[in-house]
Amino acid sequence: MSLPSVTATLLQSGGALPEWTALAPTLALALTALALLLVDSISPETKNNALLAGTTAVGSFVSLAFSGWYLAAGTGQSGTGGEIVLYGEALVVDGMYLFFSAIFASVAAMVAIASYDYLAGKEYQGEFYALTMLAATGMTLMASANSLASAFVALELASLPSYALVAFLKKNKGSVEAGLKYFLIGALSSAIFVFGISLVYAVTGSLLFSDVAEALGETELVGVAGVGVLMIAGGFAFKTASVPFHFWAPEAYEGAPAPISGFLSSASKAAGFAVAFRVFVEAFSLSAIPEGINWVILFQILAVVTMTLGNFAAATQDTVKRMLAYSSIGQAGYVLIGLAALAGGASSQNGDVMGAAMAHLFVYGFMNTGAFLFIALTEHWGIGRTFEDFNGLASKAPMACAAMALFMFSLAGLPVGGGFFSKYFLFANAVFAGFWWLAALGAINSALSLFYYSRVVKAMWIEDATSEFEIRSKPVGLYAGIMIAAVGTFLLLPAFGPIIETAQTAASALFGA
Amino acid sequence: MAAFDYAPVIVLLPFLSFLVAIGTAIFARGKNVLPKGGALPGIVAMAGALLLSIWMFVTVEAQGAYDQTLYTWASGPGEGTFTLTFGVLVDQLSAMMLVIVTLVSLLVHVFSLGYMNDEDETGLPRYYAGLGLFSASMLGFVVADNLLMAFMFFELVGLCSWLLIGFWFREPGPPSAAKKAFLVTRFGDYFFLIGVVAVFATFGTSQFSPIGGMEAFPVLAEEALTGSAEGINTFGFDAATWFNIVGLLVLGGVVGKSAQFPLHTWLPDAMEGPTPVSALIHAATMVAAGVFLVARMYGFYALIPTTLAIIAFIGGFTALFAATMGVVKREIKQVLAYSTISQYGYMMLALGGGGYVAATFHLMTHAFFKALLFLGAGSVIIAMHHNENMWDMGGLKERMPVTYYTFLSGSLALAGIFPFAGFWSKDEVLYETLVHGLGGSPLLLAAYAMGLLAVFFTGFYTFRMVLLTFHGEPRSETARNPHGVRWNVKGPLVVLGVLAATAGFANLVPVEKLTGANVDFLHDWLYHGPETLNGEHYSTLLHDVAGYTAADFSVLISAAVSLGMALAGVGLAWMLYNDPSPEEHTAKLGAVKDLWYHNYYQDEFQVWLAETGGLGIARGSDKFDQGVVDGVVNGVSSVSLFSGSRVKRVQTGVVSNYAALLTLGVVVLMVALGLYGGWFL
Repeated sequence: MSLPSVTATLLQSGGALPEWTALAPTLALALTALALLLVDSISPETKNNALLAGTTAVGSFVSLAFSGWYLAAGTGQSGTGGEIVLYGEALVVDGMYLFFSAIFASVAAMVAIASYDYLAGKEYQGEFYALTMLAATGMTLMASANSLASAFVALELASLPSYALVAFLKKNKGSVEAGLKYFLIGALSSAIFVFGISLVYAVTGSLLFSDVAEALGETELVGVAGVGVLMIAGGFAFKTASVPFHFWAPEAYEGAPAPISGFLSSASKAAGFAVAFRVFVEAFSLSAIPEGINWVILFQILAVVTMTLGNFAAATQDTVKRMLAYSSIGQAGYVLIGLAALAGGASSQNGDVMGAAMAHLFVYGFMNTGAFLFIALTEHWGIGRTFEDFNGLASKAPMACAAMALFMFSLAGLPVGGGFFSKYFLFANAVFAGFWWLAALGAINSALSLFYYSRVVKAMWIEDATSEFEIRSKPVGLYAGIMIAAVGTFLLLPAFGPIIETAQTAASALFGA
Repeated sequence: MAAFDYAPVIVLLPFLSFLVAIGTAIFARGKNVLPKGGALPGIVAMAGALLLSIWMFVTVEAQGAYDQTLYTWASGPGEGTFTLTFGVLVDQLSAMMLVIVTLVSLLVHVFSLGYMNDEDETGLPRYYAGLGLFSASMLGFVVADNLLMAFMFFELVGLCSWLLIGFWFREPGPPSAAKKAFLVTRFGDYFFLIGVVAVFATFGTSQFSPIGGMEAFPVLAEEALTGSAEGINTFGFDAATWFNIVGLLVLGGVVGKSAQFPLHTWLPDAMEGPTPVSALIHAATMVAAGVFLVARMYGFYALIPTTLAIIAFIGGFTALFAATMGVVKREIKQVLAYSTISQYGYMMLALGGGGYVAATFHLMTHAFFKALLFLGAGSVIIAMHHNENMWDMGGLKERMPVTYYTFLSGSLALAGIFPFAGFWSKDEVLYETLVHGLGGSPLLLAAYAMGLLAVFFTGFYTFRMVLLTFHGEPRSETARNPHGVRWNVKGPLVVLGVLAATAGFANLVPVEKLTGANVDFLHDWLYHGPETLNGEHYSTLLHDVAGYTAADFSVLISAAVSLGMALAGVGLAWMLYNDPSPEEHTAKLGAVKDLWYHNYYQDEFQVWLAETGGLGIARGSDKFDQGVVDGVVNGVSSVSLFSGSRVKRVQTGVVSNYAALLTLGVVVLMVALGLYGGWFL
């Protein structure tokens, strides 16, 4: 732990607090969801957006504060006795859980703040925030799942509210259609996922990661186990919008309310990676798994195909939101390097590569959410969806456009925001791990991504306006959300050191276990 | 070591004046905010820098040299990586140079009050900003303690010369001259840059002297040649051969900046800049930078006799070559320009001929008398309402006596007449080359012969210039009623006039030989530097590694010969031009006149080279760039966009298609991995 481990206090594991408090980041989100439901059931028609968005934001910040505090205090980390296992080993709290919880809570907070304006005047606001919080709760549980059963439940807890959230604009055909498609693909993917779990259970006789790993090492049913592993990977590929489970993503991101697009493409994706990292490192540990089940190759294929397909498709889109949707598929391809560039045995490189992928997700949480919130802002203003519609926007809204330019360049990996370092560390660590070709493909794809990201910036800042904008107001909440994201993205450039160190320590702990 | 803590301030003071002036130029355009258009901040800054430099000089005398890394801006992890730093090295050589540069720059600032402010020039903040940055860059170069830092400031110096030569950018001449200066010196700098990289690749360091765990490349090179080399990569060459290659690469930058043949062509054109700038460029900054660089890393050059011989030969040849061209010029600044090229040739001759002290000595005296001559010429040009043609002058002696007597002092120094400064230093240059040549190097003797012959031409053109400008009857209306000059012009002239007459007493080698009195002060000064950066070490290296031996030859005979040559030149000029209304005698030279007048057709030749060879290569690379590089890039992008549009079509919007494709994808993956992992066996 790079953060002050010297001053680490024993909060849990025999310290001042009972062990269950280690789950506080999850509990804060869950309680917020319940509080929102309570408000909603007392006055179902409430349009007191300030109260609802405020409660959600406060709940998210509390969760974030718990994660930050625990990370600093060393809860569940090697400095204070290692991971904390709860509820019959169903859940585990360690550095990785806390790290990802921080991502989810940050994104949820930004989304809540921005939704204050986005939802103004709309119906069913209470449900919206409650569902968001429930999804966030599910995501944190995904990060802490220690058995395949809890992983599945957590995944569904995160997914089901998401379907409803995508279809939230009930009167909007696109929104409803996207929600339905998302749900159908989700159902299919869940089926594949749960079938995979059953196969693995059939081979190993357990759902606990540690038992699975042990049993897999001695199994003779390599084929059955292999099919199970592949299908479980499919379930995660759905959640992370990786090819070929990505089909829902462009439509869902485009049809959903823009803050929800940001939420899904940043937090939900990160959650998919969180559980995938843990399952594949702990349950299907490379040191124990039979020779024939080489899932590293599987992720190499997925990484290459995902980043290439995502970026190539993004390059030819006409609407900005859909471009962002595909770019987010491409970004998932980069993060998959965190699983694809692993080597057998106890290589210290493994932790570094995966940590770099985690750090990229952290930065991505800010810059991608910010980009979608900017789209939310343009939707709020009623500006069209295509690149041309953005022409000359900077002259009307320079602050927001500057923030958007920052997000775009940071997503492309230029050194204006944290995206530069996160991508750099990801590729560099892939090279150090010996997978230079993965890094090279990533770099080529990044170069291509610069093309379509700069199209947005060019339209906003260089082109002349083709039509008059009617910008009636500068919504405070949306602006605040965008600015939080922008400041976060920018500050992560100088402050990337602690992030990458925390992430790599957390990831290394996973490999050490 | 408190004094040395202030060493970076010497560089920062003129930089501050640059910031003040440029800030005014940008933010208060057209408003007269700064008193004297920025001259006062510049003068104050340079005066401060001069005082600090003198303090450094005194402190070096008392405490010895100082070398300190100030800032490490890049360092690699672990073995085999480079550490790149900014550091300050104040030793005997750089302390002397600091005083020279700050003094000349201060005087140039003061003189500019007369040349620029009193003439109501516009854009003064920009002018003083340029002067400030120019001085700061040169001072940074002087105190640089490693080659990379030196290179950076070397480039900044080049940038500033471009800014200042092209100061009057609305006229056609100056921008073109500025571009030429920039491009020609940049051509040399390419080699220098490769040389810097080569030094890093070879030694892993570019420090001039060892400091805090970092080794110095001249020391490593010496160890390599004397047999105990470790960790040095000579790329498969013999160490000595490789060092020669590296030395010659760095020399490329020197030849460009110090205007040595064949990269001297930018310098005469650079006369298009304001005259005070010419003084600064020729005396203390730009041109001096090249020679100073060789002196700075003399511990490296002293190891490689082949390169030394090339340096000496280039120097000797340039000295003679440029002097002949100066003979026929009509404009006063043109004559001075060629004299500069010629004089720097002498310095190179000295460095190549094993005369480290002689070269430094001549660098110093030349700085004073050439600054003086340019400022004197500037004074004449003010008086002549910016007419520079000497054939329109004449008879200015009575009308501007201060300018005349100080200019005469500088001219006597330039011609090398006893006892003016140039006599002592030029004599030592020739003497050192001669004795080392006699010690067994015929090439040095040839270089010496050219240098000696150039003395005659120098005496001739110098006094042709003096006689045409100041003597005889006025040949134009303006010469009869010249514009007066004020204290701010006369003051710097007097200071430099005194120095041009007396600076030679810093190193009276012939007197010492004659009387036995210990009066070679500069020699002693430079022989007491840091362990690997002093004259004594260099002469040991020259003797032990390069195989230079000094023959026993009387310094008096050498001095007498060169003085005789100079007097002959002066005498010939006197005979031909000391006439109330002198005639042009250039026609008597016949075809040679055209050759000299057109500068040996060097400009034409270089243009021809550029147009045939350079343009061909440029066309070829353009084709390659447009066709192959752009073709690949464009191809990649159209392929991506095309495949992107195909990918888009897969996204049909029909959810059952998605489900089918998804399932198909899983099956394909399952079959592929299953076959690979043998699941179906």
